[in-house]
Amino acid sequence: MRKFFPVEELARDSRFSQVTMAERMKDPRSALGKDGPTTKSNRLVPSRPDASTAARALMHGIFVGEIQALEGAGRTCHDFRTAGDSARRAQDDDAGNDGSDAVPFALKLDMARQAWDEARHVEISVKLSDWMGGEIGEYAENTVLFQAACSTDPILRLAGVNRALEGLAIDVFTTMKEFGDLAGDPYLEFCEDWMLADEVTHVKMGSDWLRKVTENDPERRKKALEFQGVVDKLFSYGGTRSDSQESPIGLARRFRELAGFTDAEVEDIADVSLAALNERKAAVEKMQRAAEQFAEA
Amino acid sequence: MSVTVIPHTFQFVAFDAALIEQITRTLVEALGIEQDVTIEVDETTPLARLRVDTGDPIVVHAESGAFEDTRRPRQQSEGATATAIGRVLLRARDRMSDGFGEAPPDHELTLAQVAAWEAYCVGRVERLGIAVNQQRWRYNFRNRHGFTDHGDAVFDRIWSSDELTWAELDELSRSATAAVPAAS
Repeated sequence: MRKFFPVEELARDSRFSQVTMAERMKDPRSALGKDGPTTKSNRLVPSRPDASTAARALMHGIFVGEIQALEGAGRTCHDFRTAGDSARRAQDDDAGNDGSDAVPFALKLDMARQAWDEARHVEISVKLSDWMGGEIGEYAENTVLFQAACSTDPILRLAGVNRALEGLAIDVFTTMKEFGDLAGDPYLEFCEDWMLADEVTHVKMGSDWLRKVTENDPERRKKALEFQGVVDKLFSYGGTRSDSQESPIGLARRFRELAGFTDAEVEDIADVSLAALNERKAAVEKMQRAAEQFAEA
Repeated sequence: MSVTVIPHTFQFVAFDAALIEQITRTLVEALGIEQDVTIEVDETTPLARLRVDTGDPIVVHAESGAFEDTRRPRQQSEGATATAIGRVLLRARDRMSDGFGEAPPDHELTLAQVAAWEAYCVGRVERLGIAVNQQRWRYNFRNRHGFTDHGDAVFDRIWSSDELTWAELDELSRSATAAVPAAS
C-alpha cells in the first residue's frame, strides 16, 4: 500500500473546493480595518453583530480540519514501520529504507485511537453545521492542516499535527464552547466540551511521544520543536488566534497546560501568534496602500 | 427608476458591476420600488455588513463579503448578491411604508430586533424565488431570542408573513425573548 500521501491528492467530492494558504494570504482585503490598530474586540462572542455567520464559518473550518486530522492520524499509523516488525522491515529493506523512521507500536495505537476520535468529530461537526444552517463545502477548504502531516519524520509529524494543529483545536474548541454557553445553545456547548476533552488528549499524546522518542536525541527534538514553531505560526492564520482581542480566537492557556505545554511553550506560542497578527496587519496595510496608489494613478 | 453600481470596476475582488445592476433591477421591479437605487460596494474588506439609506435614491452600502462566493474567495456569488440586496431593499421598503414609522433607526435596533426583521425580510426573499437556507436564519433568530419551542414558532410566523407592521414584528420578537427561562 502506498505511503506518504501528498496534499494534492486528498480525496474530496465535488462539494468541496480547496484554497492554499498562499492564495488566502494574497487577499488584499482586511477585516482588521484600514485605520491601523483598534481597541475594538473581534473575539467570537454572541454579542458580535455577525456572530451567527462567524460561528457557522468557524464550524465549517472545524469540520474540514477534523477531516484532515483524521487523514493525518491515519497516515501516521500506516506510513511508519513499527520497531521490531520483521515483515515490514523486509519491505523497507527492499525499498532501501534505513529504518530510522521506526516508531513504537504504542505510538501507532495512539494514532489509531486519534483517527477514531477524529472520525467521530467529523460526524459531530457535520451535525453541528446542519444545526447552524451550514452546508458541506459552503466555504473553501484550506489544506494547510494536512500539509503539516506530510513530514517524513514521525516526530516532526507529531510536533506539527499533535502539538501545533491539535493545540490550535484546543483554542478553537474553547472559543466555540464559550460561544455556545453564552448563547444558550443546548448542543454547541455540550459537543464542543466533549471534543475539547479529546483534543487535550491528542496534544498530550504528542507531547509525551515527542519527549519519549527523542529522549536520547536532543538534535532531533530541537528540529521537531522548530518545526512546531513554524506550524504554530502558520496556524495563527495571520492573527486569527492570539491573546489579543483583535483575534477572533483566544489562546486557551489552561487547557494547553493540561495538554502538557510548559508555561514557556505557551508564552512562545502567544508571542508567535501576536507577531503573526502584527505581520498580517502590516502586509494588508502595504497592499491597501499600493492598491490606493494604483487607483489614483 | 435607475440603478447605479459603485465602483464600475473592481480591483480587490472579481465582481461584475453589470451583474449586480441586473440583479438589483430585477429585485426593484419585483418589489415595486419606485425610487432610484445606488449600490456602493466596499471592496477593501471581506466582511459582509450591509447598510441602507432610505430616500431617493435608496443607497445600499455593502461590504464585499456580502456578495462573495464563500467557496471561491474574492469571486462573486449571484445567490448571495440577490439575497443580500433583496434583504436590504425589503427593509428600505418597510421603512418607507406607513406601518414601520415607529421603527427606531438602524443603529438603535437591538440584536433581537435586527434578527426578527432579517427573518421577516429573508422569508419574503425566498417567496420571490431566491434560494435561501432557512436554518441559517432560524439559527440567527435563536441566538438572539433563545433556543425555545415558542421562539421557533414565532420565527415560523415571522418567516411566513407578508404584511407585518413594526409594532407587530417588535411584539413577536419580545414574546420570543420573554419565553427564555431565567438563568438559575
